[in-house]
Amino acid sequence: MRARFVIGKIIGAISTIAFVVVFDFFLFRVVNDDPVNSMFRGRNLTPEQLERLRVKFNLDGTKWEQFVAYVRQLLHGDLGYSLKSSRPVSEVIAEAIWPTLLLVGTSTLLAMIGIFIGYRAGWRRGSSFDATATSVSMVTYAMPEYWIGMVALGVFAAGLGWFPVGGLNDPGSTATGVARLFDQLHHMILPAMVLAIAYIGEYMIVARSAMIDTSREDYLQLARAKGLRDTEVRKRHAQPNALLPVVSLSAINFGFVLSGAIAVESIFSWPGIGQQTQFAISGPDFPMLQGLFLLISAAVILANLVADLLYGYLDPRVAGR
Amino acid sequence: MKRQLGAMCLAVAALGTVVVTTANASSGDAPVTLTVGLMQDIDSLNPTAGYLVSAYETWNMQYATLTDKAADDFATEPSLAESWASDDGLTYTYTLREGLKWSDGEPLTADDVAWTINTSRDQEWINHFATTGNLTATAIDDRTVEIVSSVPDPKLPTMDVYILPRHIWEEQAAGDITTYPAEDGVGSGPFTLTSRNAGQDWTMAANPNFWRGKPAVDQVVFRVYTDGSAMVAALKSGEIDFVHDVPAELFDGLSEESGIVTLTGAQGGFSELAMNGMAGGLGDGHPALQDLTVRHAIAQAIDRPQLFDRVAHNQGQLLGTLGVSPDPVWTPEIPADQQLNYDPERAKQSLEDAGYKDTDGDGIREMPDGSQPLKFRYAELNDSDQAAPIRELITGWLKEIGIDTEVSTYDQTQLTDVIASGEYDLFVWGWTPFVDPDPMLSYFTCAQLTTDIESVGYNDANWCSPEYDALYDQQKVELDRAKRIDIVHQMLTLFYTESTYVVLYHDADTQAYRTDRFEGWTRQPKDTGPVLFTNTSPSYWTLTPIAGGAGGDDDSSNTGLIIGLAVGGVALLGLIAFFVARSRKQQDDKE
Repeated sequence: MRARFVIGKIIGAISTIAFVVVFDFFLFRVVNDDPVNSMFRGRNLTPEQLERLRVKFNLDGTKWEQFVAYVRQLLHGDLGYSLKSSRPVSEVIAEAIWPTLLLVGTSTLLAMIGIFIGYRAGWRRGSSFDATATSVSMVTYAMPEYWIGMVALGVFAAGLGWFPVGGLNDPGSTATGVARLFDQLHHMILPAMVLAIAYIGEYMIVARSAMIDTSREDYLQLARAKGLRDTEVRKRHAQPNALLPVVSLSAINFGFVLSGAIAVESIFSWPGIGQQTQFAISGPDFPMLQGLFLLISAAVILANLVADLLYGYLDPRVAGR
Repeated sequence: MKRQLGAMCLAVAALGTVVVTTANASSGDAPVTLTVGLMQDIDSLNPTAGYLVSAYETWNMQYATLTDKAADDFATEPSLAESWASDDGLTYTYTLREGLKWSDGEPLTADDVAWTINTSRDQEWINHFATTGNLTATAIDDRTVEIVSSVPDPKLPTMDVYILPRHIWEEQAAGDITTYPAEDGVGSGPFTLTSRNAGQDWTMAANPNFWRGKPAVDQVVFRVYTDGSAMVAALKSGEIDFVHDVPAELFDGLSEESGIVTLTGAQGGFSELAMNGMAGGLGDGHPALQDLTVRHAIAQAIDRPQLFDRVAHNQGQLLGTLGVSPDPVWTPEIPADQQLNYDPERAKQSLEDAGYKDTDGDGIREMPDGSQPLKFRYAELNDSDQAAPIRELITGWLKEIGIDTEVSTYDQTQLTDVIASGEYDLFVWGWTPFVDPDPMLSYFTCAQLTTDIESVGYNDANWCSPEYDALYDQQKVELDRAKRIDIVHQMLTLFYTESTYVVLYHDADTQAYRTDRFEGWTRQPKDTGPVLFTNTSPSYWTLTPIAGGAGGDDDSSNTGLIIGLAVGGVALLGLIAFFVARSRKQQDDKE
């Protein structure tokens, strides 16, 4: 792989992040000029007290001064204070990352089963396996995750009582170690299954069509002519070539792991990034939103960078061009 | 092969056993736990920084005040102070109870009280300053504190500010006190914080040093839900014991459920249609709204009982006056001849008589001089479920009397800006008052008009009256409660007849609790108030567990079983997959 290709991609990623920083800052300032008045409406505060709050949240001075102060903070790794909780944004985000990684990461991995189903279905196009897998995937793909979540919650949590209604831990639980981990797994089963069901169709459909495209290639005929068994042809010659669209889909989805799953986190009161985003939007708590958007964008940009580099590795034609 | 399978089964069984035993071990002698579900995470545990309802509830539990408020009617009662005396209404001497201690065992003395009052005044803490701004406190001895007010203050002797432990907070006050996370869990109220999981829950444990004695409930867990239906489902399944803010659409269904009690608790909060009176603040409000005839016509065009039924599902109270306190004693009875009830015919007639006629036949009236039509800018909030139905009803009713509207929707910040700059004619929003009526009354004085956009006042109706201001100044220093109530009634009647606000209805908190776990729920104020999230929430120390109902986590063994089953299930699926793969392989080999 050429060094120029790699360096070019990295510079591209960094400049995109820089653009996001600038854009987010001014976007929220345009939407929302000075939230202090509305946040403290009816709190019986003096104008001096309100002014002090503005200074604290870096809302005094001109937009340009605010921007310079924001960038300076950012370069020191400081994302400022949340308007709602008065806590450092980085601290709030750090707390929310683990539950999100656990939930969305697990379900993304689970959903990748769809890739293998898709390969098999695409390879035996028109078979009864293909027909069943495709129609099931279409159905789950079309179901909104919010709806699947509500049904799962109503049946398995509220109805049968097999699982807790929401959260990451039993409330007030003092369990530690293995017991705590099992408690968290118990809470995670329902939301993770819901997300996996919602995502699996997407992987299946992409993998299937990639496989169908590949299966028309001449080199597969050659491989069969060499006398290789059908499974061998699929594993050695078809699958690697059908990998590209699947890699880019997976990379992008892994980028979105950090953005959480707003709908499912909301139904299951899962204390992750998606829930924090929802809280921040209802504020609106824009230091928090800026921090979250930066994190989410950086994750997606990074995932795309990885996908680009992987492309170059998997298909030398891409990097060589 | 057989040996492999046996080993796997053994491993699964062992794992299942571990899970079940650990789950059982944690349910030994479980504490009596009250679990409260709500839709709002706590913003800050620090009373000098937070401002959300969830935070006030937590501070009320952790920090006792010098004086308490009676559950029935908010009357001032002894709390940390057992008695007080004053000769001149300016200097009050409070005597603390004997042997008061903080939850960490340190003595609670007059020094803590004086330090809190003086520091909060000097540093203008957001939740203290309105009370302590004019006060100076001196610790005379360990149990005596003298508080001097620089002006006569009818709020005294009520001292309802949170007293903070000096030995914890003094160090924090040296820097920016608002950045302190306040997770120390040291307080003097019935419960103190033991743990917090941001975005999920926080737990308060009974304080053995609480001056009324340790509460009967061992711990209170607040559980944050982000979905209202999920929260109600958790109440039904018994996972939680109490729900604050039941979604309106689920409330009726829930009240029919057996074993669950629902209630609506009034706290004085209300929604209003405000009109821009252009009484000296910034802005370009429609000139017609400065005419009392038009404001009265608008009030008479609105069918409030129907709106209350259709928008609020009759939850709350249909009161026409400003809510200035959760205590109903401050609410005046408006004389029948001054009431502005629904009467569109009269509204039309009075507009007609005053010269607001529809001269061009388009159904919309014009100003008497014909200069412009009665078309008002109507502003509403985008984050309220009620905004849209209220708008549909009101704009429809206004049209019936020949008034047109142009609707704009804003978020809270934008609407605050629009109101401050006076660039509106009508808007719908709401307020929630404090227990003392003074703050709410102060918002409609001339001093609160916004005349400089850099310094926004609270007077959002751009209305001002010298008569109202004079009464306001009187009540502010009137130490005789009965007389003060009378003055406040006059103010509210005046405000009502000026019709700068049409108070649509007083809303209510919707709450629900299970009847099988605890008894002794206390409403504040009595009959009309909520049971938790009230002003001082006395329920936390009046609740007692029902025998056999409120043990700890009685389903934890069940939980363990389920996990065991789940683990077993996963292992079983794994085994099936293994065999399927194996048979395939054999098949492939045969091909």
